[in-house]
Amino acid sequence: MVHAIELQEVRKSFGPVRAVDGLSVAVPRGSVYGFLGPNGAGKTTTLRMVMDIIRPDSGEIRLFGEPASSSARGRVGYMPEERGLYRRMTTAAVLRYFGSLKGMTPAQLAQRVPAWLERIDLATHAGKKVEELSRGMHQKLQFAATVINDPELVILDEPFSGLDPVNQDLLREIITEMRQQGRTVLFSTHGMHEAEQLCDFLVLINQGRVVVNGTLDQIRSGHESRTVSIEIEGDPSFLRTLPQVAAVQPDGRRLDATLREGADPQDLLRVLVERTRVRAFEIKQPSLHEIFVRLVGGGHVEDL
Amino acid sequence: MWKIYRVAQREFVDTVKTRTFLLGLLFIPVLIIGIGLLGKKMSESEGGPRPAVRVGVTSPAGELLSRITKAFVEHNTASPQTPLELRLVSDEGDRTSPQERGKEQLRQGELDAYVLFEGDLEGGQGTLQFYTHKPRASQIDAMWTVERLLRDAVIDRRYQTRGIDRAILAEIQNVPIRRVELGQEQGREQEQSEGQRVARMMVPFAFMYLIFIGIVGMGQHMISSIIEEKNSRIIEMLLSAISPFQLMAGKIAGLAGVGLTVMALWGLAAYGAATWQGIEIDVGPDLLVYGLFYYILGFILFSAILAGVGSICNTVKETQSLMMPITLIFVIPLVTWPQLARDPNGDLARVLSYVPPTTPMLMVLRLASSPDIWWGEIVLSFLVLTAGVLVSIWLAAKVFRTGILLYGKRPGPREVLRWLREK
Repeated sequence: MVHAIELQEVRKSFGPVRAVDGLSVAVPRGSVYGFLGPNGAGKTTTLRMVMDIIRPDSGEIRLFGEPASSSARGRVGYMPEERGLYRRMTTAAVLRYFGSLKGMTPAQLAQRVPAWLERIDLATHAGKKVEELSRGMHQKLQFAATVINDPELVILDEPFSGLDPVNQDLLREIITEMRQQGRTVLFSTHGMHEAEQLCDFLVLINQGRVVVNGTLDQIRSGHESRTVSIEIEGDPSFLRTLPQVAAVQPDGRRLDATLREGADPQDLLRVLVERTRVRAFEIKQPSLHEIFVRLVGGGHVEDL
Repeated sequence: MWKIYRVAQREFVDTVKTRTFLLGLLFIPVLIIGIGLLGKKMSESEGGPRPAVRVGVTSPAGELLSRITKAFVEHNTASPQTPLELRLVSDEGDRTSPQERGKEQLRQGELDAYVLFEGDLEGGQGTLQFYTHKPRASQIDAMWTVERLLRDAVIDRRYQTRGIDRAILAEIQNVPIRRVELGQEQGREQEQSEGQRVARMMVPFAFMYLIFIGIVGMGQHMISSIIEEKNSRIIEMLLSAISPFQLMAGKIAGLAGVGLTVMALWGLAAYGAATWQGIEIDVGPDLLVYGLFYYILGFILFSAILAGVGSICNTVKETQSLMMPITLIFVIPLVTWPQLARDPNGDLARVLSYVPPTTPMLMVLRLASSPDIWWGEIVLSFLVLTAGVLVSIWLAAKVFRTGILLYGKRPGPREVLRWLREK
């Protein structure tokens, strides 16, 4: 099967800075693909190269099996991270303008523009100028302008940043709908939560290179957790003194115990069973957050 | 093509709808008409007479003095708005000479001018000494009038003493000239009015000025449009849908459309005003066609430079300081136009014709002022201009592609040179 996007050994430098350093990624059709990484990892540069806004120094980029500079670009909707629209245009005019730039006919526009305004709750603002809209509305409008022509592939750079929870839900809903319609969605994000909820595939990049990629389960299985959730009878204070345990944190009626490097959870269970009655013992699934912090390194925790 | 058209259409509408554009469109014609009307009104009634200009004189003899007095009286009757007052500064028997007294009165501000008739003026010798103290600009006209009146009085006296009859002299000097312009058809003749002659001079300039406004004026809109798209980050949205070339082509087409609209409106207004005043303006269709092509090429050239410069700047102000030297080149023909109009095939005109930014203005000026330019020059100017257009597009495209996505600090000249060398 031809992939929606295929990157092979793509490199791009800006002066002395290697923004993208031998990146290879394949985005299957019909999937929701998450692009994760700390600030400056090369996400935006990669997406811009996919859109042929900037050209790679070397490597190959294919859209639906064709070169990125080809007409295949017309089947892609791209929302850049930098947000902006003509401030003096009205909301509906913005959608009509971008629609027509993407080759839509007036008849199609007459049908799709009101439909999208309705979908993003801006129907009552159709005649308002962009400069009168709030930031969140602005962003929704920009999203609608990106997908006005129902592109097969939608690329969104940080679509969730700057949206309130209600609008984040709306966007999540629309992305899910798009997957059901068989479209491919690629988005970059800082939010692990969205990535975990929405993505079929994930790639974590750092310093222009792939750190890890695959489905959520694949990524998780490769990274055992060191956190164990425990519920026992009696006084739990002895837990802290066990050699396997690094730290203990109460979590409701349970306790979250973080194991020392190299400690086996099975050993811990054995020790516990010997000393007291165990009501619950669960090896916690590592969260994406945990995995990525571990992979990227402590220095970038705050960026994730 | 459709996409380029859509970009052009948006650009056109967006520019035409702004308030500054409408003001600009109306401002210059209103200003010209306003100044014309005001000037006419001013000369009709100047809002009350000005204070009299006081002129002190010393030592003209009897007949000359009475002539001067008569001339002043005649002047005051003819133009009561600018009265002159004649005061005699004579010997009063004390130690101060009239000359000293006159100068002193001048310094005290009791006189505005003091004139000393020195030597035998009536006999053809001596000088008319004209003293002023801190003359005011508003009195300069009056001073000239006074000088003329006094001179005429002296000349009159000289005729008289030599026995020459002024009436006969006037008869001798009177040679009427009738300026007639022949029309294309036989028998069509027309008296050439003063307005007609001025119009002849002004038409080439008007054409050149229209081209200037169309290029440099529209350039301002181009700058603000590029900066807006860059600053509001629309550019990436646009570039994901269309190529940079389509974007630029659309912008240039849209703004050239605006420019042509402005030029057409002003041109028609000027033509209409001239016709209404009975001045015939003779503009051939070939001049209009040439003008159209020169304008479009000139505008593409300027726009390409603007696009390159605009893409590396973040504010309109930054752009303007970078554009200053280039804009100055466009001003050269405006400043030197009298010489260019007089000598449309001279060295200066020829040189400026082959400097691509000024080519359109110069060629239009030359074609309008002397239609018999050798066709080779026209061809050559088009070739030079086209080459300039291609080079500037090639350079601008390289800078534009990289610069438009850079926000923050403006790249230095070395950085830009590096982009130019890439690939």
